[in-house]
Amino acid sequence: MSSLIRLKNISKVYRSHASEFHALKSINLELNRGEMIAIVGASGSGKSTLMNIIGFLDQGTSGHYLFSDQDVSRLTSDELSHIRNQKTGFVFQSFFLLPKMNALQNVMLPLFYRNEEKELSRQKALSLLKKVGMEKFSHYKPNQLSGGQQQRVAIARALVGNPEIILADEPTGSLDSGTGRDVMQLLLDLHQAEKRTIVIVTHDEKISRHCQRTIIINDGRIV
Amino acid sequence: MRWTAYFQEGWQNLLSAKLRSILALTGILVGTASVVAMISGGEMATNEALKQFKTLGTDLLAITISESSDKLFQNATQKSLSVEQAKAISDSDHSILEVAPYIQLYNPIQFNGHALDGAIVGVTESFARITHIEMAEGRFISDLDHYEPFCVIGDGLYQQIKQHTLMNPVGQQIQVGSAIFTIAGVAKYFPENSFVDGNVNNAVILPIEAAFLASQYAVINNIVLKLSENASSDRVEVHVENYLRHIFSGKQYAFRSAKELVKRMGKQNEIFTVFLGLIGGVSLLVGGIGVMNIMLVSVVERRREMGIRMAVGATRRDIRLLFLVEAVILAMAGGLLGVLLGIVIAYGVALYWHWEFTIFLWPPLVGFTVSVATGVFFGFYPAHQASRLNPVVALRAD
Repeated sequence: MSSLIRLKNISKVYRSHASEFHALKSINLELNRGEMIAIVGASGSGKSTLMNIIGFLDQGTSGHYLFSDQDVSRLTSDELSHIRNQKTGFVFQSFFLLPKMNALQNVMLPLFYRNEEKELSRQKALSLLKKVGMEKFSHYKPNQLSGGQQQRVAIARALVGNPEIILADEPTGSLDSGTGRDVMQLLLDLHQAEKRTIVIVTHDEKISRHCQRTIIINDGRIV
Repeated sequence: MRWTAYFQEGWQNLLSAKLRSILALTGILVGTASVVAMISGGEMATNEALKQFKTLGTDLLAITISESSDKLFQNATQKSLSVEQAKAISDSDHSILEVAPYIQLYNPIQFNGHALDGAIVGVTESFARITHIEMAEGRFISDLDHYEPFCVIGDGLYQQIKQHTLMNPVGQQIQVGSAIFTIAGVAKYFPENSFVDGNVNNAVILPIEAAFLASQYAVINNIVLKLSENASSDRVEVHVENYLRHIFSGKQYAFRSAKELVKRMGKQNEIFTVFLGLIGGVSLLVGGIGVMNIMLVSVVERRREMGIRMAVGATRRDIRLLFLVEAVILAMAGGLLGVLLGIVIAYGVALYWHWEFTIFLWPPLVGFTVSVATGVFFGFYPAHQASRLNPVVALRAD
């Protein structure tokens, strides 16, 4: 299986006028297509920064990032937007659905920025909502849905663009253990049934145990 | 399709922050209204000033003859132009169609023993035709009157007479200086204009020859000429001045041509209107700053939303458009309502000053265009700010 992501000596330094903070220190990481990995670490360890870099929300200060064998370490802001839109799907701890839009509109949003035709987007979004078991709630606003339901909608949004990689940042962090398990099961199903590449950032060992591989980050380094 | 989506979304966002949107909109509304009202008012004032030329036409040329200050010419050969000499001016040039010389005198006027406040104007028959005097009753002065003691009174004088007697003044007698004249007609109200010197409304209008008899100081000091339609008033001015210099010396001539006056008034009013527009523009500017202020608050409040949009692939341009479209919607709505309010204000102004109310096309167009431009201009900075957000930082915002 070919490697989808290769990080070579990625570092991230935050500079303020007085001091430097090294969030990531020479990270080397390889991730294959169809893999499901967990990134585990204490808060402040740099795991979120790593996920942001993998998901093109952020860029390393130095080092190289190869995505499908292409060097993507020095992209412009527009190119980053484009690659996020095409290749990644995010699932966040606090769901991050747009409160003014209903579930369907939220799921359609990535396709809107792809300039996809509206009716086609609707069809795609509806089928994804069906897949996550939310088709009956397509016209509900996020504040009318429970946390678990919101996270399902968010997962549908992450999947709608058929991305190469799904990045989940503490996806069960805001959910009670029951619904958390359901959401986790949904992600596992996606991995097993569709061979999706999934990166989960978590500090919960129970979750990392489900993944093929666990990367532990401490103080900006992989241990 | 994408644009309609942007506009739908912008509209929804504005609706979800109603009070704020209304405040921003009010700023633009007031600004646009003031631009439209001010410019419309200026235009109406211009129209009002030019109204006299609608009845008089623009082919008039007025000449005022005065004594030269130069002592050398003071013992002039002839004191006044004679009526015949004045009338002959029209035969001297083909583009002079008609001539109306007139005399102004300030003899005391009495009616039935009551002193009236007014002046004397000695005219020829052509005077009424050229200056469009219309009769309320009776007839105007005729050239056949010659020295006959008939006169016409102006509307103002008629109003004065009405306070003393309820009798119809036509046929009554009026005393001018030491002479008695019979009132042959009453003129209708004569709107002020810049061609005829003196107040025709408050005048006893006499046959010009009779006026010569009424006072030893009678001098033809004013002439109104009616020119053919395409005559050059400059050329006629030169011609008339030469003609008059042949008759007598030691005089100064001042010409007022309708075309010249229209041009000058037009220029003055243009400056006036531009200034009014600028004053309106200042309030529109203030409105624009209001829009910017509110948009900036909105950008800060919606940072997380921008972060989410960026995470799913919105480019900087997308984010910028999102805010710009909101600013444009605000400006268009404010501009539209402002135009309506501005027209209403202009209507009120017209009502108050008894002007003729007209809706001009260009002040609303200018007002609307400028308000939308203001929206885009002041929306641009907040929109730009939003587009420069770092997605990671934006997502972390609360």
